[in-house]
Amino acid sequence: MFEGLFYLFVFPGLAFQVFCGLAFEWVDRKLLARFQRRVGPQWYQPLADLIKLFSKEDLLPTGASGWVATILPLISLAAVLTAGLYIPVAGFTPFSFEGDLIVIVFLMGIPTLAYYLAGMTSVGIYSILGGARSLLQYFSYEVPLLLAFSGPAILSGSWSVAEILKSQAELGPFILFQPVGFCLAIAGLIGKLKRDPLDIPKAKSEVVAGSLTEFSGGKLAFWHLTMDIQAIVGIFLLINLFFGMPLGISPWINTLIFSGEVLLVIFILSASSSIFARLRIDQLASLGWRILVPVGIIQLLFVILMGV
Amino acid sequence: MDNNELLFRLKQTVGDDLAVLETINNEMVYAVPVEKWLNVAALLTKEWGNIHLSAITAQQREELEGQIEVMYHFWQGQGITFVLTLPADHPEIPSLIEMIPGADFYEREAAEMFGIYFTGREATPHLLLPDDWDKAPPFMGKEIHD
Amino acid sequence: MTKNIIPIGPQHPLLKEPISVNIEVSGEDVLGGSLRIGYVHRGIERLAQERTYVQNVHLIERICGICSHVHTTTFCYAVEDLLGVEIPPRAQYIRALMCELERIHSHLLWIGILAKHIGLDMVFMHSWHNREIVLDIMEALSGGRVSHAANLIGGVRFDMDAEHESMVRRKLQKLGDQLFGVLDAIRTDPTIRARTIGVAPITADQIREYSVVGPVARASGVAVDMRRDSPLPPYDKLDFNVITYPEGDAWARTMVRVDETRESLKLCESILDQMPEGPVTTRVRRKVPAGETVIRAEAPRGEVFYYLRSDGSEFPARLKIRTPTLAALSLIPVQLSEIRVADIPVVLAGIDLCIACADR
Repeated sequence: MFEGLFYLFVFPGLAFQVFCGLAFEWVDRKLLARFQRRVGPQWYQPLADLIKLFSKEDLLPTGASGWVATILPLISLAAVLTAGLYIPVAGFTPFSFEGDLIVIVFLMGIPTLAYYLAGMTSVGIYSILGGARSLLQYFSYEVPLLLAFSGPAILSGSWSVAEILKSQAELGPFILFQPVGFCLAIAGLIGKLKRDPLDIPKAKSEVVAGSLTEFSGGKLAFWHLTMDIQAIVGIFLLINLFFGMPLGISPWINTLIFSGEVLLVIFILSASSSIFARLRIDQLASLGWRILVPVGIIQLLFVILMGV
Repeated sequence: MDNNELLFRLKQTVGDDLAVLETINNEMVYAVPVEKWLNVAALLTKEWGNIHLSAITAQQREELEGQIEVMYHFWQGQGITFVLTLPADHPEIPSLIEMIPGADFYEREAAEMFGIYFTGREATPHLLLPDDWDKAPPFMGKEIHD
Repeated sequence: MTKNIIPIGPQHPLLKEPISVNIEVSGEDVLGGSLRIGYVHRGIERLAQERTYVQNVHLIERICGICSHVHTTTFCYAVEDLLGVEIPPRAQYIRALMCELERIHSHLLWIGILAKHIGLDMVFMHSWHNREIVLDIMEALSGGRVSHAANLIGGVRFDMDAEHESMVRRKLQKLGDQLFGVLDAIRTDPTIRARTIGVAPITADQIREYSVVGPVARASGVAVDMRRDSPLPPYDKLDFNVITYPEGDAWARTMVRVDETRESLKLCESILDQMPEGPVTTRVRRKVPAGETVIRAEAPRGEVFYYLRSDGSEFPARLKIRTPTLAALSLIPVQLSEIRVADIPVVLAGIDLCIACADR
């Protein structure tokens, strides 16, 4: 009983994920700033921003539904936190079961749906455009992302993240067998997180802040927290699927390797958001369906043949 | 088309009313009566081609009481200015936006600042002044502090 | 699909100065748009009639925060033309040097804004970082980063010594070294190309019909440059290329400004090389003889037009200012069709909006 509560609220649950999410945001912002020749924020800045947002007045535009606007960020936060529970952190897997990869992918899709609904139930034109864009974007990146995720699953013969991790300890990191799949997964993750260059649903110069334009105060804080935790959960998942680590040596060494891999993926994300301009939604759709999906299918065929 | 040919064609179009004023700073300056203005503009845009309208200046001269002067500054390799004189109590001038769409903003500015009516176009909504500006056109009053 | 109106402005993250563009969209397709300016109208043309010529130099400087120097330069040349005064050659060269520095700083600012609009913050920051070097040079020369107050009627307010000159050369060298990498990256970056090539093309005929000037016109293959066509001194003695691109799309508008930045850097060097010795001011009378004059100069955004009439007093009788942005603004409703919502920032940025200039 007590152990279960510890898992839920401390590690690898709420507290740990919030900490990791904020830490991710800081590292990301600092890296972006250094790429842009800026100094970047202090380490406590993400937390300070969050506290500041919670202390701000919570406004709701006339005509928008209050309870919908409140429940959507909470649902998406709950979904990403739950997804995070099933992902092994440094090889530590309390809740693993066969098929948890599918559950994680499903749970990670909920924030996008909530984001879409938040835009559509709002009253502003920017929110509506942002909501519509987020769904269009979802259809473009989700299929390549799933194709990329199924590579490691097929290679290891299991749809459980912990099993995939275990078979990587035997076979070696899967990124060596499917580097293309890893690139697809990174592209899909950027799309899922709505990060530059795929921040189309919240492009500042086009739709102000997309679905979140009319949000403020605590609700906006929950959205930001959701985004951060979604990012860290996605990064953890990617590491478990493609990098792996030698298991059973020492938890400290595992933690060290895991942190290094996390930083590497954050670096890749920050670098790609620095060096690419934002795509148009039609360009993203054609990139997704004309290039990423065929490449993903070829990669998958390759994996299946290799498995035989 | 050089200056002499332009002058010849202008004389053909306008007749004896054309006045060649003294040049300012290498600009050719011609005074044209308002009735012939559309013909001159058609000559400039259709036959001369590539004409660039730099600006429309409206002004009141102290020596010309009760009149508004409108200057059209063109450019094609050199400056050419046409001067038209309108009565201040009812300044009316044909619009050029059919021939030069870019004249729209300049006409609207002249209309709101000097109260000039541009005929041949639908309306001249305010360009710079507020929509609810109901005072006299700003350049027509002697005092600006009203 | 239903039609919606996207209101851009008077306040919007896209805009740095207030204009209002109401854009009619159906989904992601733009159907049309309407434009309203005048939110920062200060009535400078009328105010100028209430002030003396000396005061007006400082009033004119406040027309624009980016191209302030070219406005005062044009005004001073106009007044000096009426006075019948020719300023010393050294003053002419210093004015031209400031003009070219201003062009570099304006174009770098523009490149940064375009990059920001298409979500490329790194280029935005690097371009503005380089722009700081130009601002530092201008501050070291004139004492002002933005409003330089460099011009007087009859000359310039400051002189350059050998130390200044070597400082300017050193900093321009540094700027060139840092900048060319960024400019080359802009030319070759696939995502910038994807976002700008073929977006909102303007034909050369449209340029002529709408009387558009400057980089926008040159990007459509219309080679107008008042530095060459109607040169103020000392541009008649300087050698430079007029950059034109035939395509007319947002890509060409970017490339024209990128290439002009390099060209201006070269021009700064040759201005420094040719700079004659001598005084930088002449004495002029306070009262300007009656007369009228027209001066055209090339601002960073294109031809700026000044008509000045004097009635023999200390106050100008009529000052007409036509800024390049006012001409280019009329193209916005034309461009706002057959594009996507994501292209709106590219279209608005392509004009290089300077609303304070347009509203005066």
